[in-house]
Amino acid sequence: MNSMPPLERGYRRLVACYPRSFRKENEEEIIAVLLATAFPGQQRPGIAESFDLLRGAARMRMGLTRAPHSVVTAVRLMCLGAVGQSLTLITVLVTWGSMRSAAAHHYPQYTAQVSRIVNDDVRGDAALLPVLVVIWLLVAWGNGRGNQWARVAAIAFAVLYTLVLCAELSQGVATVAPAALIMSGVTWALGVAAVVFILQPRSWPYYAIQPAISRQGAAL
Amino acid sequence: MILTALADGSQHGYGIIGDVAAISAGRIRLRAGTLYAALDRLRADGLVAVDREEVVDNRLRRYYRLTSEGTARLAAEAARLQANASAAFARLNPAPNPILFGSLPGVVL
Repeated sequence: MNSMPPLERGYRRLVACYPRSFRKENEEEIIAVLLATAFPGQQRPGIAESFDLLRGAARMRMGLTRAPHSVVTAVRLMCLGAVGQSLTLITVLVTWGSMRSAAAHHYPQYTAQVSRIVNDDVRGDAALLPVLVVIWLLVAWGNGRGNQWARVAAIAFAVLYTLVLCAELSQGVATVAPAALIMSGVTWALGVAAVVFILQPRSWPYYAIQPAISRQGAAL
Repeated sequence: MILTALADGSQHGYGIIGDVAAISAGRIRLRAGTLYAALDRLRADGLVAVDREEVVDNRLRRYYRLTSEGTARLAAEAARLQANASAAFARLNPAPNPILFGSLPGVVL
């Protein structure tokens, strides 16, 4: 590898991101095409072709190259949901002080108690929300591969999220943490939209061939 | 576009990239990541198959060809696009209606 020209070494590093079974069959051919399409004198992979290879590898690892458009859209929405969940966490942490002030303003006679409750809630969110980000990504990965469990998990997750959001609204969270609630609402909408896509009739056949995809996945 | 590139005969990856660029008059420039993701899907769908492999300058060159299913799919898609294009041209350049214009004396076309 050390005796390789830097351009080929760079390409091989990028192609290494693809699943092993795909690389075994296609690596040498892809490298040959990449080298043939390189500019004269090119020393390193370009930004656009690096992005293209990394995106291709990510799509292949998620199983998206063979998924129908409805499932691809659902998986993208779930990935956006993970981003939304991360932004919710950041919003909670950034607005921590204002949440305490708002709670104290609404319950002036219980300032110490509400401050403690808000602190406990924020600490709970700081522990829970990263877990939810992982769940979003896990469910997105499973759906991309056409796993039935992931589809059921996505539906269950959306239902649970709806119930939690309704409970938060009924408890007056909107007055104490409006920014975090808006972010949660956006994240919820992404989850519900993803479920709508995976329940579309054109998505069903993809989940029906789940055992074949799983066998392929096991070889990765 | 990949199916169109293969309609003329088997092609290797680099050939497909060049052919797609030529067919699209340079508008579409396929990159390797996009090409091989698409080929993976087309092979899984049974539209494209590996024709043969060669080693040129110590590099593997794999040729792809359309399957009969791929040929049928390309023909169906081309017919659909042709019908759409015909409808568009017909609406952009409507033939003058001789009965209508004949009944309107004085209309300057």
